[in-house]
Amino acid sequence: MSGITVNELYKTYKGSAAPTLKGLTFQFEKGKIAGLLGPNGAGKTTTISILCGIVKSDTGEVFIHGLKQDAAHREAIKRLIGIVPQQIALYPQLSAVENLTYFGNLYGFKGKSLQQKIMHYLELFGLEASAHKEIHKYSGGMKRRANIIAAILHDPQLLVLDEPTAGVDVQSRGMILQFLRDYNRQGASILYTSHLLEEAQSLCEEVVIMDAGKMIVHGNPLTLIREHDTCNNLEDVFLHFTGHGVRD
Amino acid sequence: MLRLLATIRKEWQLLLRDKTGLILLFVMPVVLITVMALIQDAPFKDYQDIKFDILTVDNDHGRLGRYIREGLESGGQFNIIDSLEGKPVTAERARQLVNEGKYKISIIVPEGATAAIVSNANHIVNDITKRMGMSVSLPVKQQADSLNVIIYFDPAAKKAFKGAIHQALDNFLTQVETDMLLGRIKQQLKSKDSVANATDTLPIRLQAVGLQEHSTGTGKQLDVISNSVQHNVPAWSIFAMFFIVIPIAGNMIREREDGSLLRMKLIPGSYLAILAGKMLFFVGICVLQFYLMMLVGIYVMPLLDLPTLQMGQHHGATLLVAAGIGLAATAYGILVGTIFKTPNQALNFGAISIVILSAIGGIWIPLEVMPAKMQLLGHLSPLSWGLDAINDIYLRNGDIDYVWKNVVRLILTGLAMLALAGWMEKRRLN
Repeated sequence: MSGITVNELYKTYKGSAAPTLKGLTFQFEKGKIAGLLGPNGAGKTTTISILCGIVKSDTGEVFIHGLKQDAAHREAIKRLIGIVPQQIALYPQLSAVENLTYFGNLYGFKGKSLQQKIMHYLELFGLEASAHKEIHKYSGGMKRRANIIAAILHDPQLLVLDEPTAGVDVQSRGMILQFLRDYNRQGASILYTSHLLEEAQSLCEEVVIMDAGKMIVHGNPLTLIREHDTCNNLEDVFLHFTGHGVRD
Repeated sequence: MLRLLATIRKEWQLLLRDKTGLILLFVMPVVLITVMALIQDAPFKDYQDIKFDILTVDNDHGRLGRYIREGLESGGQFNIIDSLEGKPVTAERARQLVNEGKYKISIIVPEGATAAIVSNANHIVNDITKRMGMSVSLPVKQQADSLNVIIYFDPAAKKAFKGAIHQALDNFLTQVETDMLLGRIKQQLKSKDSVANATDTLPIRLQAVGLQEHSTGTGKQLDVISNSVQHNVPAWSIFAMFFIVIPIAGNMIREREDGSLLRMKLIPGSYLAILAGKMLFFVGICVLQFYLMMLVGIYVMPLLDLPTLQMGQHHGATLLVAAGIGLAATAYGILVGTIFKTPNQALNFGAISIVILSAIGGIWIPLEVMPAKMQLLGHLSPLSWGLDAINDIYLRNGDIDYVWKNVVRLILTGLAMLALAGWMEKRRLN
């Protein structure tokens, strides 16, 4: 079954001369770890925003676990998706427990069961000792880990992560990637964007490389590497398709 | 309901951690209203409680000079000064001192003023008795003197102040002349009716109809004058309530920048519940600010020798107005937070726009003393609606019937700003 289906997406922002998405089409299987890769300005964030229902496309369709992303299914899709934005979308003046309690309450969870869940995840991510410390006192890696917990409190079946390991140390990155593999093993789909192609190669079962609002290539990272004689890794494949020119 | 309550709790936690925000919301307004009430106390007292020194030069040494002196002293508003450094003040010295601004007023009673009044009264009485066939003749000066009581005003004195003094002196002159005339008439009537009882004082009342000021308020009468506290405490409280724009706008921009707004919008359920929680919290803070400042008006101002704030008798109406102002201020904060991209832009625009709205809305000086065109403009400011409503309750003893129009204006403006913010946010995403 398809986890994510994107059909002929077009999107031009008001005031922008050029379209951001130009007929983007791809499909990811349910239960897989998929990577959405592309250089700056390729349209990855817009694509994720449309998948989540935050931004409307001009034309085209999106299906999440078989549900069409439209007004009728928007709430059901929100329950399916957990999003980990690139920014630390937490209140810096509040502690991890206070942040997670607030977002848990917004999902409708409360009381002891919510607190147990929060403590479980804090322990899983090695944050139990800093549970009551304000987020602004956390290190970069700790903030990233707390950011992920806020997205999985409602046990989403699709976890969307926008550069979840940007700016973190090796240990935190290892912990985050291990969590993603474990979470995927429990049956969840994972859509992940990153500029760290080595990390994407080791984590993803499928990748879509997009550029200028279009899909360039789609497949298993190892298969893509094999298919191109001059490429030794995913970064080579990426550069092969997107070129060496610097992007704005 | 859980979303709403959770949002209120979260905002409360954020506020408690934000020491600067707490100072901005609660300490600064208290300082502001206290300072404004103190510095504006003198201008408000101009015609009320301040005692003025009046340099008086009495060259007449008669009844008029005495009457003017006693009249001015009896009002309790003036100190009569007729000598400086042990020497009587001269007309020239008085003029000079007033011109230098050392005194606000000087009154020169010319020599022969009382004699001129007596002569005039005698002339009238002679005329009357002659017409009545009586042969009494009181002494009259052959040539009537043209005498004037001269007043010098500090060139910086306000027009209204000059008018009030003119009127008071005019009253004293009229009263002396009338007294003298009546005295002469009484005297003539007594001498004509020599058989009358010696104890008969022939009472003649000067005033058949008197003047008495009553409160226009309904219910229990209030005796509230518009003094510095009565104007400044509510006015600057409203100003401070609108300053909630700064923390709200900053909070909204930070939420948008750090992605927590996105996270909230991705959580199933209506974002309106979250927004309602945020609004309820900040409206509550505004109301809390308002009552904190009213308490300062009631309990702190008297400690600084300022009048006690009178809050009228319709406390329900006051709460409604405070909530209405809070709603408009909070909605304005949300709109500013939606329009601007950075906290700096929002802070600058928010602060300056509130200063402008407050200036035209009668917060700094009452709207009534502004030019007509500015008054028209001022009535468009939500701050003026709030102040009008509070004045209706505090000064006119008004109830909900008095204030509902202004409350509706505040609520509708708040809702319009929220709708505009919603439309702009939607537009931003697309």
